[in-house]
Amino acid sequence: MKKRGKGLNKIISTKNLVKTFEGGVVKALNGVNLEVFEGEFVAIMGPSGCGKSTLLHILGGLERPTSGVVVVDEVDLCKEKNLDDFRATKIGFVFQLHNLIPVLTARENVQIPMIELKLSSGERNERSEKLLALVGLEDRKDFVPTKLSGGERQKVAVARAIANDPKILLVDEPTGNLDSTSGHEIIQIFQRLNKDGRTIVLVSHDKEIAERAGIVYHMKDGKILRKITRD
Amino acid sequence: MRFASLIFKNILRRKTRSAFTVLGIAIGIATIIALGAVMSGVTAGMEGMLKTGKADFSVAQSGISDLSFGKIDENRTSEIELIEGVEKTAGVLLGIFPIEDHPYVPVWGVRKEDLQMLGVDIVNGSSLSQEHDLIIGEVLSKEIHKSVGDKLTFKQEEFNITGVFETGSVYQDRGLAFSLKKLQEMEKKEGYVTLVYVDLKEGANVGEICRQIEETFPDLVTIKSVAELSKVDKGLEIMDAASMAVSFLAILIGGIGVTNTMMMSIYERTREIGILRALGWKKKRILSMILGESILLCVFSVIIGSLLGVLGVRLLVLQPMIRGIIEPLYTLHTFMRAFAVAFAVGLVGGLYPAYRASKLSPSDALRYE
Repeated sequence: MKKRGKGLNKIISTKNLVKTFEGGVVKALNGVNLEVFEGEFVAIMGPSGCGKSTLLHILGGLERPTSGVVVVDEVDLCKEKNLDDFRATKIGFVFQLHNLIPVLTARENVQIPMIELKLSSGERNERSEKLLALVGLEDRKDFVPTKLSGGERQKVAVARAIANDPKILLVDEPTGNLDSTSGHEIIQIFQRLNKDGRTIVLVSHDKEIAERAGIVYHMKDGKILRKITRD
Repeated sequence: MRFASLIFKNILRRKTRSAFTVLGIAIGIATIIALGAVMSGVTAGMEGMLKTGKADFSVAQSGISDLSFGKIDENRTSEIELIEGVEKTAGVLLGIFPIEDHPYVPVWGVRKEDLQMLGVDIVNGSSLSQEHDLIIGEVLSKEIHKSVGDKLTFKQEEFNITGVFETGSVYQDRGLAFSLKKLQEMEKKEGYVTLVYVDLKEGANVGEICRQIEETFPDLVTIKSVAELSKVDKGLEIMDAASMAVSFLAILIGGIGVTNTMMMSIYERTREIGILRALGWKKKRILSMILGESILLCVFSVIIGSLLGVLGVRLLVLQPMIRGIIEPLYTLHTFMRAFAVAFAVGLVGGLYPAYRASKLSPSDALRYE
């Protein structure tokens, strides 16, 4: 895994980002302007339906905006045709529901994103074991999800998200289904990953989590209302 | 972990559903194997019967739909022998009698002097000499436990078994032969034969002689191979058509089963497919995964269906009604056809669900509850 440093490079930039659904009836994003620099830990907060998850999906190339500009790690997501490769190499996703494949072990789940890369079986095994060790699950690598606790499953999902060593982690309510201890452990992992230079954009309702982020954006009705920067 | 092992594990998620899907297709495959083996056996038997011994081809009555109904004037045998290029001919009357507990035993009425040409090799005892002498095929002899010196009674006639023969054709070796005159009398077909076997001189032109026979005797038709049997017997054609129809139906039902299983599977895994897309999986990877699962189900079906098919035929031939008339023949072609059909079912049955899955928008899939 590469060590990355905090820099002044803009890694995410959106201008006047608009996303509508149902032929324009529902406006999920209404002119979002966002700038994230390499190595930052950004939290986006706001009530349900304010457009946080939609913003995260657009930043991750899961859907395209209706209008506006979005550039992530020098890729213009409005113009880029191959968003699959973009997601496979530049982005790691962590969702509220871990969605691990139930018939696969923790190690095999972590290897899922690696299937698109041309890695040998040995390389995949080695890398997945290192990643599980990084999240403290080296002794649970051969367990299937049903034999893991909620916190452990989410840790596997984090290991899976960084399987292809992406620069950016997009995280959607990572602790929504966890008890406070497990939630705390997950946030500590994100902080560690951020310390190693990974850019993290996290969406959450939880103020406690947001307090761990260096920058907090508050959203409402598809717009960013304010930005709070912590030292 | 390899992509293939993910496909394998995915179909094990819903073991019962997968098992029933496999069973559904396996029944279709078993049908194909069973019908294929029976058809191959019957075809091989007919082939052996049509080109028995030294005969290059056989001659039957034209315009009939079942070979056993054929009636050829016995004099035609010697008339055909006069045609240039013909070495020898042998007229044979065919019958099917219930003997002991075998309901259908093929019976040949032959002249003693024709036995050699017909490839009848006496392996025990002696050939025919008296009107009530009978030679029995080696297979039938073992099945009904009758051999040289024993007596056999059927159609109110008692025969002495003087010899045991083999021809190399299981169909014929499961039969018996006796005097042509006696069978003509028993069948009330005096002066008639069913088939005339023709042995040609070396270098003779088969096609030309066949043409000549058909021109000279318009009531006759020549049969050079089993492929030409349909000229006088629609049985094989009908069996083949029925076999195709049953196979098609079985496969159609199996195919719908696969589609249904795979559709249910992708509905259940919609969110998971969204995650895979979010993790960078390409559409074609999703397509390959679903198609792979569908094809793998069908590969399991081929294995189970083949075993069921072989077992089914074995049970079938044990039935008294069928014993002796069906000798299944398992050819590579039958199994290859079953495999090809299963592969096609997997491909076609899985194509629509795989297409649907690959077309899912990752964002919509992630929102799916």
